[in-house]
Amino acid sequence: MDQNQNCHKNNEFLFKVLIIGDVAVGKSSIMKRFAENVFDRKYGSTIGVDFKTKKLKLGGKAVKLQIWDTAGHERFRSITSAFYRGAHGIVLVYDVTRMETFTNIPKWLQELDLQDYNCTVKILFGNKSDLSSERDVPRETAFKYADSNNMFLFETSAKTGNSVNEAFEHLVSRMLVAFHEAESTATKPILSGDLSTCILSEQEKIIAGSGCSC
Amino acid sequence: MSDAAKNRVLVLGAQFNRVEKSGTLPVQEKKSFWKRNTNKLPGSIKAVQSKGSQDHPTSPSSSGSPSPPGNTISSNPEKMRGKIQSFEDYTSKTHDAWCEDDDDVEKVGERVGSVIIQEPTVKVIRGGDIRTGILSRMKKKHNHANDVRPRQAPSSSNKEHTVQPKPLPLPPHAEIQLELQEQEMLKLERFGKILAGPTTDLVILRQYSWSGIPAQVRPTTWQLLSGYLPVNIDRRQSVLDRKRQEYYNLLKQYYDTRHEDIHQDTFRQIHIDIPRTNPLIPLFQQPAVQETFERILYIWAIRHPASGYVQGINDLVTPFFVVFLSAFTDGELETYDVSKLSKDALNTIEADSFWCLGKLLDGIQDNYTFAQPGIQHKIHALKDLIQRVDAPLHHHLIKHNVEYLQFSFRWMNNLLMRELPLRCTIRLWDTYLSEAEGFSKFHLYVCAAFLMKYSERIREESDFQSLLILLQNLPTGNWGYKDVELLVAEAFKLKSLFGEAPKHLQSR
Repeated sequence: MDQNQNCHKNNEFLFKVLIIGDVAVGKSSIMKRFAENVFDRKYGSTIGVDFKTKKLKLGGKAVKLQIWDTAGHERFRSITSAFYRGAHGIVLVYDVTRMETFTNIPKWLQELDLQDYNCTVKILFGNKSDLSSERDVPRETAFKYADSNNMFLFETSAKTGNSVNEAFEHLVSRMLVAFHEAESTATKPILSGDLSTCILSEQEKIIAGSGCSC
Repeated sequence: MSDAAKNRVLVLGAQFNRVEKSGTLPVQEKKSFWKRNTNKLPGSIKAVQSKGSQDHPTSPSSSGSPSPPGNTISSNPEKMRGKIQSFEDYTSKTHDAWCEDDDDVEKVGERVGSVIIQEPTVKVIRGGDIRTGILSRMKKKHNHANDVRPRQAPSSSNKEHTVQPKPLPLPPHAEIQLELQEQEMLKLERFGKILAGPTTDLVILRQYSWSGIPAQVRPTTWQLLSGYLPVNIDRRQSVLDRKRQEYYNLLKQYYDTRHEDIHQDTFRQIHIDIPRTNPLIPLFQQPAVQETFERILYIWAIRHPASGYVQGINDLVTPFFVVFLSAFTDGELETYDVSKLSKDALNTIEADSFWCLGKLLDGIQDNYTFAQPGIQHKIHALKDLIQRVDAPLHHHLIKHNVEYLQFSFRWMNNLLMRELPLRCTIRLWDTYLSEAEGFSKFHLYVCAAFLMKYSERIREESDFQSLLILLQNLPTGNWGYKDVELLVAEAFKLKSLFGEAPKHLQSR
């Protein structure tokens, strides 16, 4: 079966988005803010992976996102990397108040490379931007790094909701572009979407299996 | 002499009938005797536990009702010989408290001295007469009820007092309450007898505990079942004192290393996780409790470099902490203010939680070592098992591309603690601690039973997303003891079918 299938029909898309990053940078809070528009400080550490969905409309296209919020804990890495499979978009998160979470971003990218997700759309979130007095990662440094790695950077706050939606919308538009590029060139797949993890319903499976040319 | 005391004498008589009584030796001499013996068993606590568990590999199925007193010894004469010898030796120099008046029973409790052991045990023993009164009043009431409508024969005190569904017509609500109270009291009495010593038979204790431990005796029972507390009542206090002191020494020696280069990552990780441990329960939001957890986890982690600290282990401390705390208060535990507690009491809870956590983790270490092989193995086993026992459910999951790893990793890593309310976890651990390999093996069957419980509900969902969201948030908020009891009963059936016959799983 074609590796590059994307589940879409009549401008309806389904993307798998992965959130990764160090422990306690706010990955789960970002997911909750985006998917449910809530923030709860009382949130336990993620064990393995948490899962939510979110529908949005962008440029006349209906997009359904499967969001996989992975555990940042290192011991879980061998397990959580199994969830990376088939991701169309990756949200890399660091905490602007803890420099080490930023300096670990290359390690996370390396982790993705090892898994051959080099060609998936990636975006960088500098979270906890509301804690300005505790800032540890200078904006300039972070933006410079993002530029040199061809990534967009958004400084977000899951607590206030600042820039979270914008960042996700940007990611979605990039995924759509990547999808169309892949569709038009139809050579090496840009999206390494995997049917087994991106098909949601039986109906969609039929659509993707029969009609999806990507 | 009360029934309780008679029973104890019976146990003693059957097990050690050649023992002659003589006067009590000064404490000093007894200590030196045991010291001599512990030299033969390096790391005596561990030895007591492992020996106990080897001597009494049991499950509630192995015999429907508790074995008669004494037969556990003869069941394994080879292994027990040494024990009898040493016990004879010991008792020949020791005063036998059980042949005295009932009042002396209290003295034994006092001699033990620990609040944790003493309180529940002595409460139970002291309560004997009062309870008999209550029970007889209750029985009169029940007899009166018999005139009105037929009911089951009153349960004998030797039987398992699990709550059985009543035949029709259903008794009125008050009647059920009364019945439950009576059963609880009888249960408590049975525990009181066996915990009061002089040696607690772990086989019987496990049989009793499997179907739930009364809250009053849970702290002591958990410590015994964990292999932390010696079965011999006269050794308990000295062992507790020694282990607690050992833990305080570990703290003195190692806790300051938490900011050193090699350990700071470990400590930072623990420090980040502690406020996120049971975030909705006020007890765990108190700084004194959080610091306690940090110390327990840090010391454990640096002493176990093969796994180190892994997220999830923080959750595993909480049942021990809450249960050991319950020995000091009758109040609501989840909102308890620990500043009401003396420093000594909190230290005691901390030390006991540390050692019991260690005992638990010893049995599931491969869950937390690199690549978590224990968990991976269990997830595969869960898949095989569900395929065998609930094929429609399995095929439904497969059809919708749901992988077991996606929902059951957390079940294994946190022993279902994230799926169940804390009160249910505590009840579940009564059974786990009673099973020979509760946390390592029986847990698999509990997970299978847990999944199957929602089989129908899961099969109603017909797309990947809804399935995964449901599986990650199974509706257990209203679970009570009864649900856990049904769960472990189902798990026990599965274990009986497949536990000893893994080939049954491979046949497909």
